[in-house]
Amino acid sequence: MDGLDARSNNAHEAPARTAPPQGTQDLLFEAARRLRRCEAALARVFEEHGFAEVIPPSIEAAEVFAETGGGGADALRAVDRHGHLLALRADFTAQVARIAATRLSGLSPLRLYYRGSVVRESAADSGVPRERLQAGCELVGESEPAADAEMLALAAASLAALGLPAGAARIAVGTVGYFSALIAAADASPRLARALTDAIDRKDLPGLTLLCTREVAPGKARDALLMLAQPPRPQAEASALLARAQELAPSAAASAALHRLASTLQVAQARSLGAEVEVDLGEVRGLGYYTGLVFNLYASGAPRAVGGGGRYDTLLGRFGDPRPAVGFSLDLDVLVPLARPA
Amino acid sequence: MITVALPKGRTLQPTLERLARAGLAPEEDFASTRKLIVPARGGGARFVLLKDPDVPLYVERGAADLGVCGLDQVLESGADLLVPLDLGFGACRLCLAAPHDSAVARGFRSGESGAEIGRSLRVATKYPRLTARAFARRGVPVDVVRLSGSVELAAVADLADAIVDLAETGRTLAENGLVVVEELLQVSARLVVNRASYRLKLEELLPVLDRIGGAT
Repeated sequence: MDGLDARSNNAHEAPARTAPPQGTQDLLFEAARRLRRCEAALARVFEEHGFAEVIPPSIEAAEVFAETGGGGADALRAVDRHGHLLALRADFTAQVARIAATRLSGLSPLRLYYRGSVVRESAADSGVPRERLQAGCELVGESEPAADAEMLALAAASLAALGLPAGAARIAVGTVGYFSALIAAADASPRLARALTDAIDRKDLPGLTLLCTREVAPGKARDALLMLAQPPRPQAEASALLARAQELAPSAAASAALHRLASTLQVAQARSLGAEVEVDLGEVRGLGYYTGLVFNLYASGAPRAVGGGGRYDTLLGRFGDPRPAVGFSLDLDVLVPLARPA
Repeated sequence: MITVALPKGRTLQPTLERLARAGLAPEEDFASTRKLIVPARGGGARFVLLKDPDVPLYVERGAADLGVCGLDQVLESGADLLVPLDLGFGACRLCLAAPHDSAVARGFRSGESGAEIGRSLRVATKYPRLTARAFARRGVPVDVVRLSGSVELAAVADLADAIVDLAETGRTLAENGLVVVEELLQVSARLVVNRASYRLKLEELLPVLDRIGGAT
């Protein structure tokens, strides 16, 4: 009878207490073993590269996640009996930044790693789980391009440690710095900036063209913005792309962001990443706190990014210890089914 | 190998023509074959034929690398996709429409919210997400009635105060005594691409996208 009652199957009703909440799952036996093996393989790589584990609490003051995914709006929140607004961990990076800025203040550089789950409210039908299993690294106190390249290389090494077949992984690399400089040069309102970000993120060239023609004054900034919806280029062709962007750079800040990206890529190339790099100046997606390098990781067999990261030079300042930092995380729920760890 | 999701219905023919000009054509006619997956002539790709609203989901989840569907379906699905090309055909408008003598038609035209009817507006549609969003943006409370067809009837038969639906010429609306109160979205067929495919199969996809983009 129950199965025939349409209301009991309705996603908007409270879930039956016999099933885990929507977007979460029980991992049993072999699935649990696979996850633990992958985590162990990653922990080994991270430690070999000089990173040490931190385990932040699973709940935090909600404001810690303020700059995570839409102003922290995606965090699952509750008020405790003292009236404090708490959130389930929605982002490791914000927590690690809090730890680095408080208990580890003054110690530079810091190489920290973590593993565990984050909980974010996602659209019910998007296929993105609410509880995601992650592992990741943060490098605090280093501002040089070499630090950015170190994290790109470590991200690639992590995918290799999971036993993804050679050539199955790609890294799309861009810089938020260039886009922010264009937004500033175009004097775009926050609303326009959001619309531009969205159009560029979706490679929506017709939408971007319409927005630019209607709302951005003609000039270098507009031409440069229009270029951001172009397809990514393999690293071999990146210098031509960066040179073109450089010609259109409307300000010193835009130009500096490109120089920075070019030298990061140069260092990364010298280290030979073992994963193919694509340069995409339209790689503007990411958490709100990124200030420079941004990258996303893709692996054959996964329909969405399997991880990503970037530079966030202002986040620690929010916790009273302004220091540069760069990091990345991997989504294990997507990676574990593809992984063949040694 | 790339998988292309094609939309059943009115946009299928123009889609096939556009893809054929870009050198992508099914080996067999979908109208005469019972196969669900049809290889492309010359290999390198294959086609699946789907109902319009399913195209964004197949592409988002990676079962197809790229697809063609209306902008209305892209936005209604909420799918996280790349939308690099406007194919131009399948042009129509997503409209809020109501009986010409109704409070909604009068209220919206005079810049009011239709609140004079004393309860939330009841709006029937096949586009609950876009409808809810359009009203939320205006701060107008709305009771969305989700239908799967004959949406005009809902407004005429008093199921709803207004409807949100596609209109090509507006003739169906007019014949049923409905007027367009507001145009919510300009719709046309879009090429949609899976985010991961776009990166991982860049070398295969770029020439295809270039050819489709150039084959107007």
